[in-house]
Amino acid sequence: MKIRSSVIGLICLLIVASGALAQNKDENISPQRKQAIDSLALEKVRDLSKYISIIGNKSTPWSESQRVIERAAELFMENSEIGVSALSRPDVAYYKVREYFDRLMKLNYDRVTIDWYKIQYVSDLERQPDGTYVGVITIYQRFQGFDKEKGLIYEDTTKKDITVYVKRKETQIGGRLIGFWDVLLGDIRVKETSK
Amino acid sequence: MRIFSFLFLLLMPASLFCQPGSIGSFSGDESKFYAQTKQVNQFFRRFNAEEDVKGKRTYSGDSTFRDLKSRKKYLNILFDTYNSSVSTDDKNTFIDQVTSKKNPEFLDFHGGDWFSEVSASFTYKHERVDIILYMKLEKQNNGYKWVFSNAYFSRFNDLFAHVGDTTNLKLFLHPLSHELDFMNIHKVFEEPDKLDYYLDRYYRPDQLALFVSEIKNGNLKFETVKEVKFHFLQIPGWYFEVSYFNRNSNNSGWLISNMLKITEKDKKELLRNYIHEN
Repeated sequence: MKIRSSVIGLICLLIVASGALAQNKDENISPQRKQAIDSLALEKVRDLSKYISIIGNKSTPWSESQRVIERAAELFMENSEIGVSALSRPDVAYYKVREYFDRLMKLNYDRVTIDWYKIQYVSDLERQPDGTYVGVITIYQRFQGFDKEKGLIYEDTTKKDITVYVKRKETQIGGRLIGFWDVLLGDIRVKETSK
Repeated sequence: MRIFSFLFLLLMPASLFCQPGSIGSFSGDESKFYAQTKQVNQFFRRFNAEEDVKGKRTYSGDSTFRDLKSRKKYLNILFDTYNSSVSTDDKNTFIDQVTSKKNPEFLDFHGGDWFSEVSASFTYKHERVDIILYMKLEKQNNGYKWVFSNAYFSRFNDLFAHVGDTTNLKLFLHPLSHELDFMNIHKVFEEPDKLDYYLDRYYRPDQLALFVSEIKNGNLKFETVKEVKFHFLQIPGWYFEVSYFNRNSNNSGWLISNMLKITEKDKKELLRNYIHEN
């Protein structure tokens, strides 16, 4: 699974990179390029979803969770935050990415299940003043927390709006300067959906 | 085909959406999430018919891009149907106007004449208060950013409650004060809460300046965002408001929550009222 995912990521990166050379000077993103960047961004979001499921899983050993938290944190821009609100607590609580994962790991349930809906919505990419492009990917997650004796004690479905930063970078390969689009995740807004 | 597409959007059995390469592993009913206008970006795209029923972006040259009939159907689902404040007549007139064959009208993300209203909580001198922040998109270096265009805090308004008061016959600086080098001016400052009686009757306070000042002085501290709305004035003859509806229904997400038929002159007035410019 990991190998497959990495191969897809690499292919996406190369597709995006090969076309980046053809970008005109103002770096407008063509619909084809946008699709390639979307695939790369969705790949990162898929990785994040997978990591969240592993970190939240009670049977994941502590050391493995720590390793996965490291991998998950690498997906994000520095200082990214996760803003969480619930139906019963509409105020947005802000967590740093690692803090959010640590809390997820320490949730007080005997067993949890984290499922992801198949739907994904990808916004347009908008250019920021610094030349970086920004987009938002929306996904939905179902969370269930179980107690050994009482069974299911907590359940929610959350909408996750994930910021995606897309930046043009250059690297030298065999003396040639190759341009490519690098994708990193940013702030995430987590909102409980109405039951 | 288009009718089918529309029904597809409304009914949307989850099984139809098992797309290859999708994120999920959960096979629960997600039809309401497809119907939901999930992002403001999707509100723009649906308004303009610039995406297909699965939410995939379409571009100029694609058969369904900005298709008039698709637009009519999309526009119908962009209204908050739980709210009776928008009349069916207004709704239909609006849809007919923006989907006119001769002169269709579209929303433009970068086109100006739309802004955001953010209701946020702050602590003001250790007390929790609500402040409205008005944000607009501003262009810089071929890119865009949201900037604060105004703020509204009722306490700031209270500070200027007596500006323009013509009934007060005690609190003023007499007209020959200048002959005494305004030596009497110190009396004004002995009662700070009455300072606003002495201001130019046409003075209008700049709430954003006060907001910045209080933040920088440490008196106002941000707590949380409570609610976000958008006000659109891009469509000639109309104003409408877009709000987020978090409910277990196909009619959810970012939807038109209010709408007014309005002249361009009244639009300016409305804008002044919205951003609390007197």
